[in-house]
Amino acid sequence: MSKFLKENIFNFLIFLLLSLQAFMYYYDNKPSSKVYSQKSMSVENFSSIVLSKSGLTKIGSDKLNKIDEDQFFLQGKSYLENKEYKIYGEDISINLIEEISHSKKSVQVINSMGTLEAHGFKNIDSEGKIYFDGIVTFKSHE
Amino acid sequence: MVLLHLKVMNKFIFILSLFFYLNAYAESTVKAGDSLIWDSENQSYTATGSVEFSNDTFIAYSEKMIAQYVEQGDKELFTIVELFENVRIELKDEVFLGDYAIYTRDDNIITLTGDVSVQSPTRLLKGHELIADIDNNKRILNSANDGSLVEVLLENNENN
Repeated sequence: MSKFLKENIFNFLIFLLLSLQAFMYYYDNKPSSKVYSQKSMSVENFSSIVLSKSGLTKIGSDKLNKIDEDQFFLQGKSYLENKEYKIYGEDISINLIEEISHSKKSVQVINSMGTLEAHGFKNIDSEGKIYFDGIVTFKSHE
Repeated sequence: MVLLHLKVMNKFIFILSLFFYLNAYAESTVKAGDSLIWDSENQSYTATGSVEFSNDTFIAYSEKMIAQYVEQGDKELFTIVELFENVRIELKDEVFLGDYAIYTRDDNIITLTGDVSVQSPTRLLKGHELIADIDNNKRILNSANDGSLVEVLLENNENN
């Protein structure tokens, strides 16, 4: 037995290494079950119209970055305008499925009551609520 | 010549009308230190953190404010303003303090409750509830105990 091992130990090690390499090669090339369909796209001086609960909303920005089918990032000076409000800000993210738009940059909102200025907002269109964080000033023209 | 004169008159009337139109709208201002929520479904604004509300009559300070509004034509108007916690209202030379206040635009009345006080250059009054009728320049101060009702009537007197 000992003699057999001594004579074939190198053959055994070579076989083991080859098996390990074959194993690694197989798993390294195994196709993933996940499908990535991320198509990034950007358009400069963009404007378009989207349909939401607030009705038709016109959106525009210095540069539009399409993250995926449902998410956009309005880079630079951007706006959202519909019959209820006009939001002028910067770097606004939009999720069309959840109907949420938000930004952490300075924003000005004009509605039929007056003008509001804040340092960021989160607009949940499905709830009809806009949240403004930080110092907020709202001047109404009654 | 007459035509030119009419054109100038029309322009003058237009500018004058515009001036009166712009002045017909009083301005209210809301400032919030922490956050503000505009709820268009419930037609309200909720402000929190060192809130300041002012209109052409008074300035109010509190920790929280809920203002209800209604739509009239293409305009929206504040109808009810509620103030919560550390309420301070400055109305000309008077200062009202309380825990809670509600202002109703229709009758132009402010009602304060809680630990209420009324400060003016000549007096300090304390009670549980204050009803300030701005249009009629009338203040009613009630104590917590119904049996000891106090009413204060302040008349306009320019000489005093």
